[in-house]
Amino acid sequence: MISDLIRHDQITRKWTVVLLLSILVCSIPTQIHSQIQRFPKPEFESGHVVPTPTTPHPRQDIYEYIDVAVLIIALSTASYLALKKRSRNGIFMLSLFSLLYFGSWRKGCVCAIGSIQNISLALFDRTYVIPITVIAFFTIPLLFTLFFGRTFCAAVCPLGAIQDVVILKPVKVAAWLQKVLGFIPHIYLGLAVLLAAYGADFIICRYDPFVGLFRFDASFLMLLFGAVLLIGGIFVARPYCRFLCPYGLILNWISRLSKHHVTITPTDCIQCRLCEDSCPFGAILPPTPEKAPEARSVEHKRLAILLALLPVLIIGGACLGSLLHTPLSQIHNTVQLAERVRLEELGKIQDTVIESETFQQSGKPVEQLYGEAALIKNRFIKGSTYLGGFIGLVFGTTLIGLSIRRKRRDYTPDRGTCLSCGRCFAYCPVGKKESKEDEK
Amino acid sequence: MNQKSEETRDRKKFGYQIARSVAVVSGIFMLIFSILVLANYFQTKTTDPLNSPALETLMGQMEERPDDQALKEQIRALDLLARKAYFTTQWQIRTGGYLIFGSFIVFIVSLRIMGHMKSKLPVVGEKPVNVWESAGLTRKRMAITGFSMAIISILIVILSHSELEEIQFRIDEVMDEAGLTDSAYPNDEILRQNWPGFRGPYGTGIASFDNVPTEWDGPSGQNVLWKTEIPLHGMNSPIRWDNRLFVSGADETRRQVYCYDTDTSEMLWQRDVLDVPGSTDEIPEVSYDTGYAAPTMTTDGERVFAIFANGDLVCFDFEGNQIWAISLGIPQNIYGYSSSLIIYQNRLIVLFDQETGGYLYAFNTQSGRMEWQTSRENMMTWASPICVNTGNRFEIIINANPAVASYDPSTGRVLWSIEGMTVDAAPSVAYADGWAYAVNEYAFLWAIKLEDPPQIGWENIDYLSEISSPVANEKFLFVATSYGDLICFDAKTGDRYWVESFDHGFYSSPILVQDKVYVMDYEGVMQICYADVEYRPISHLELGEASFCIPAFDDNRIFIRGDTHLYCIGHEDE
Repeated sequence: MISDLIRHDQITRKWTVVLLLSILVCSIPTQIHSQIQRFPKPEFESGHVVPTPTTPHPRQDIYEYIDVAVLIIALSTASYLALKKRSRNGIFMLSLFSLLYFGSWRKGCVCAIGSIQNISLALFDRTYVIPITVIAFFTIPLLFTLFFGRTFCAAVCPLGAIQDVVILKPVKVAAWLQKVLGFIPHIYLGLAVLLAAYGADFIICRYDPFVGLFRFDASFLMLLFGAVLLIGGIFVARPYCRFLCPYGLILNWISRLSKHHVTITPTDCIQCRLCEDSCPFGAILPPTPEKAPEARSVEHKRLAILLALLPVLIIGGACLGSLLHTPLSQIHNTVQLAERVRLEELGKIQDTVIESETFQQSGKPVEQLYGEAALIKNRFIKGSTYLGGFIGLVFGTTLIGLSIRRKRRDYTPDRGTCLSCGRCFAYCPVGKKESKEDEK
Repeated sequence: MNQKSEETRDRKKFGYQIARSVAVVSGIFMLIFSILVLANYFQTKTTDPLNSPALETLMGQMEERPDDQALKEQIRALDLLARKAYFTTQWQIRTGGYLIFGSFIVFIVSLRIMGHMKSKLPVVGEKPVNVWESAGLTRKRMAITGFSMAIISILIVILSHSELEEIQFRIDEVMDEAGLTDSAYPNDEILRQNWPGFRGPYGTGIASFDNVPTEWDGPSGQNVLWKTEIPLHGMNSPIRWDNRLFVSGADETRRQVYCYDTDTSEMLWQRDVLDVPGSTDEIPEVSYDTGYAAPTMTTDGERVFAIFANGDLVCFDFEGNQIWAISLGIPQNIYGYSSSLIIYQNRLIVLFDQETGGYLYAFNTQSGRMEWQTSRENMMTWASPICVNTGNRFEIIINANPAVASYDPSTGRVLWSIEGMTVDAAPSVAYADGWAYAVNEYAFLWAIKLEDPPQIGWENIDYLSEISSPVANEKFLFVATSYGDLICFDAKTGDRYWVESFDHGFYSSPILVQDKVYVMDYEGVMQICYADVEYRPISHLELGEASFCIPAFDDNRIFIRGDTHLYCIGHEDE
């Protein structure tokens, strides 16, 4: 048996040696380090003294205000670069700065995306005190979006920046697939608000795929998730931003109302079609054909049916949502514990877990635990009903949006999905000509 | 020109080849390490170094041969080997992760350089996308997606199971009993319809009732609807919930709680506080001004709570059944314990300050179980806590020497504290419109603006109360002193609008009833005036006996505790 372990150790060492030899540049320092790690001195009688635990001082408030100041400066610069300067290189350099500052330096926290949950909790729990800087991180990008479009996504969000860097061979996602996948952020946003509001979980933070990379510390699965998104992001541009990000969804809604927004061409579109495939996010809307595919009456009839169907979809979604309150409420720790204790009480599970053991040792009556769990479940009935209704509403309005005929003459950015990254600028001959003239 | 162009092209070509080579090497490096790290990770997942079969076998042998030194050494060696293998694997995974990340960065940078060196011209397709056809296709696929989502949701509902559903009927009972339903906590409207504790709802001294009497005469019986003697003396004020009025009384050996019908003066029940676990026969030292039953009771609409000078805390239901009782011990207090009780949701808040080792407690109102306790490092306090919504949270705010402090009623955590208050603290805090007011005689009157962090907006040292608590609304702050002055300040600036001097001092506290101020002097004369920038008296009304308590209010009625009697004042003609 000992020999098995020794053999395992030998195999591991052998593989390491083979690997290290194959990478000559890295092998020497790594091997030395490895040997130190493999054969540490025995510490059975080392006289090691357990250090006294120390409580680190909280981060000084001033740094949080500096973060807010950096956010405002970065957003202002991004808006200037995108709308006024029309500089893709500038936007890219700024996004690298944001990646280093908000990602590597600030370790991805506080972030506007996660602040959705703090805001939700503050709205539903009067005892929760939300820091002013979190409110600032939530609202300031929204305000900038209202005036300048999604410049936050273009160059300030570290999650966007890390994905932007790896866009190398973007493939075009079919419009229908993009629309279908774009439905996911609605569900994610609804779930995040519901779970945060009821104190169940902060899922946006828990399942942030990149924060582990910023901190070099995360569970293996989260690191794997981040790696998959980054590798996938080489081909499918910014998958998290487009198909998951709940804050991006809010910015999408607000950006549609934005006072100013980036344009592909600085003046008039000459219909050269060069920009047609320039956007890796599929956010360029082509001109509409002159001839409609269907008669007006058919379109009107379909629209009328969908408008009539909208309340049905909302009510149906709400009913379905209310039925889902049990699995949704089981995300809450208290409900999980109550379920576990009940299973142990019924003898359906023989062993115990540390949570149930701690509960049993606390002396708290089990009825109280069940009561608290029931209260949470009752709250989830209302919350999941609203969630279902919201999903039904989004689904209905999306179908209606697809059934309204809007005419377009030129190639224009989709104000909702355009990330204001400026990739399309270089494809426009009108813009290029103007730039050259400006340089002269 | 052509030569320069060719040189540029060659340089780009060379750069492209270099970048491609680096990309290939770093890509292979990354791939190999990824595979190894993944293999290592899954291997670690399946291995438990501390419970290997080999080790367990040897440990089994150890039980049979406990003195076998060679076996011990073998176990130690195996244990060390297993631990080393485990930690080495952990190190490999971590180091591998760093190397993968580093190589990934090199890989991406190389590819970006390659892209930069060999940029492609845009390709224009044969014809532009037909957006209407695309919309039609999207609509169909969206419909399929929606339908699929609905099916998946239904499947999740069918497959999900909760053990708690089988005992839902039991949970409902438990929730009702435990007061865990949302409706179990009286809302703001219900609280304002009643007078649930010291200085009314939230302890702020604000009454929301109409047609409150402004004329009566105790000696002649004018507008006195009823009057009844209270068996035992007490300095506590009456509290009211619907048509039930509660007071407590005590002497050296007895502690009692009384419940009256507000309409008829009938005593519905009288209960001795008995069988208090931990209580002793020791008699606490108190001054006459304080007595043995100074703290005012409180109620949540289903139960009433009382605390006495010896630290006995008791809960009765509305039928007079004793639900629970505990002894907090005799407080070290030179004048006697006087802090009144207050409720936040299902927590009974008890301020138990004493000479040393004071606490703020929260007890579960249903069971009496302690929810939290927070130690307090301050001098003795006779003031009572208030529990107010300061905008986006509830806070328990307490006036004390040396700090006015705020606590989270859910956890007992200190929210803020302002030090500098001195001498004996008896007046409770007033609160209105984001400002808290704390005052002590021979110290200060502080107007604290509850910003983040709270700050003293203004202070005054000229007119300070000794026992009476101030009261405030958005515009005014009223302070009644023990030497007979009633002062009106501007609540936000501290400007003094007026001072009115009376013959007798105030131990009772002013109460704001709509636009009027009611304050009883210690001879039992109620002074009523308008809350205005000028002193405008309404009436001076005698009770006929001394009174130190704060009345309980209702629509059309006031309940006043005199030295020995309980009065109901109303409108005789109605």
